[in-house]
Amino acid sequence: MTLFKMELKTHTKSLLIWIIVVAVLTLGLVALFPSMKEMGLQQMDLKSMPKEMLKAFNLSDMAALTTIEGYFGYEFQYVMIATGIFAAMLGLNALAREESDGTISYLYAQPISRLSIVFSKMLSNAFIYTVYWLATMVVSFIACLMFKESGASVSGLLKDFSLLGFTGWVMGLTFLSVGFLFSSWLSSSKSATSLSLGLVFLTFILGIVGKLKNDYDFLVYFSPLEAALPGNVFKNGIEWKYEMTDFAVLIVAALLTFWFYRRKDLKV
Amino acid sequence: MAVIELSHISKYYGKFAAVKDLSLTIDKGEFYGFIGPNGAGKSTTMNMILNFIKHNGGSIKLFGQELPEHDVEVKKKIGYVPGDVRFYSQLTVQDLFRYTLEFHHLKEDQKELDNYCELFQVDRKKKFGELSLGNKKKIAVICAMIHHPQLLILDEPTNGLDPLMHARLFHLMKEKQQEGVTIFLSSHNLKEVEDYCSKVAFIKQGELVGVEDLTKSRQKVKIILLRGRSLPIDEMKAIGAKCITQTEQEARFLYEKDLQQLFSVLASFAPRLDDVTVENRDLEEQFMSMYATGEARS
Repeated sequence: MTLFKMELKTHTKSLLIWIIVVAVLTLGLVALFPSMKEMGLQQMDLKSMPKEMLKAFNLSDMAALTTIEGYFGYEFQYVMIATGIFAAMLGLNALAREESDGTISYLYAQPISRLSIVFSKMLSNAFIYTVYWLATMVVSFIACLMFKESGASVSGLLKDFSLLGFTGWVMGLTFLSVGFLFSSWLSSSKSATSLSLGLVFLTFILGIVGKLKNDYDFLVYFSPLEAALPGNVFKNGIEWKYEMTDFAVLIVAALLTFWFYRRKDLKV
Repeated sequence: MAVIELSHISKYYGKFAAVKDLSLTIDKGEFYGFIGPNGAGKSTTMNMILNFIKHNGGSIKLFGQELPEHDVEVKKKIGYVPGDVRFYSQLTVQDLFRYTLEFHHLKEDQKELDNYCELFQVDRKKKFGELSLGNKKKIAVICAMIHHPQLLILDEPTNGLDPLMHARLFHLMKEKQQEGVTIFLSSHNLKEVEDYCSKVAFIKQGELVGVEDLTKSRQKVKIILLRGRSLPIDEMKAIGAKCITQTEQEARFLYEKDLQQLFSVLASFAPRLDDVTVENRDLEEQFMSMYATGEARS
């Protein structure tokens, strides 16, 4: 519990920064919806663009962009990528930073086992991510309510946001857990940012390839982002086959983290 | 009762042996020094004792309990001051004290904490990251003491401390020792080891090369330096002096036998000598001779 509290205290500032930046970004993007709609987004002629490219960027259905859900689903996918990076970075820094900052010499001199260190850090970072995600969802929902087109159903919007809230939460926890696994190997957090970017973009690209090529559609299973993108969730609902894969990855990565960290030589 | 029992522990990084077959026993209430040159394996040994790193072979027992199995139990009784103090820079000093006590499930003893802060002149409101090296060290010392440990492991605790704080720290350590606390001190400052420790272990290239009981034999061992054109090397060896270094016009001996015999030899050769020095062997001398010549395990 003490480590849990310490983690919250040391992460409060960065959590607030992330929430504020994402909230402002989301509000700003959603606020553009009425003027974009008036400009006639659906009239845009994108036929000259390759179909695969439009599909990759979730632009296949331009008509959908005239609804707040369709528009939000398109613009928020970039926030989802940033969210995945945030979650992966939380995990990657969680254990490795203690060693690169040297704070492990304080922490592990206390009567606390390595398993407790990992468990407390997983709990606290999952909590931090949950707070971030809840705040992002609340701000996004309010923004959509504020700028929705007349006639859009509030209950329908609420239902879709509930689904997105769940899939985005699972996606973040999956990246967090995989980040923890990497963190249990590393003794320095110097490469945490680049590894987080690599992890999220690599799996994102796998999802795109899986979506475009039928022969490789199994690759979507390796893309937590693809299953959580609002465009897909608003259209297809929760796709449990992908959510279950995420859960499996999350649990295996967490167990492996415990296993590796227990045997590791800590750099003091 | 042994507080620390190291039995044939080693630590290998690939083929490199950072610590090799090291055995050491430290009893309750001892003020035990641990010295050696840079890279000798002092910190590695301490890190194995604290289970930061795993040992290859052998066994480590603290308070009679095997590590790493009883890691958490024994750490309740240990206070540790790392050589390089890098605590959470964004936390205040007060936060660090509070969290340390919480880890040990203890409530803050305001009076005791006030005493420590006054003794070491610590500002509790400052953030740890804003402190100087010496002040960081003081915080580490207080954090290591506030849960009343039975064993204090100190890795270069006086680095960055001014002479006043240095004296206060060792005065406090002596008090703790008298209360029955065992102190394991790694230091490069041989004077502080000599002044305060009851025993000292020497480590070289990962191996224990000697253990000296500083309460007993110090006064008996003399270092004799002779200068002159004709040195009585054989005569000195005949009375039991051990030649440590020898050049054409200078020789140094280690001598721990009868002084009358020594002075009689020196008197008879006095006309042929330019200079004679006889002094007690201090720790620095012992350190220098041990690491220069590779003195055998005692």
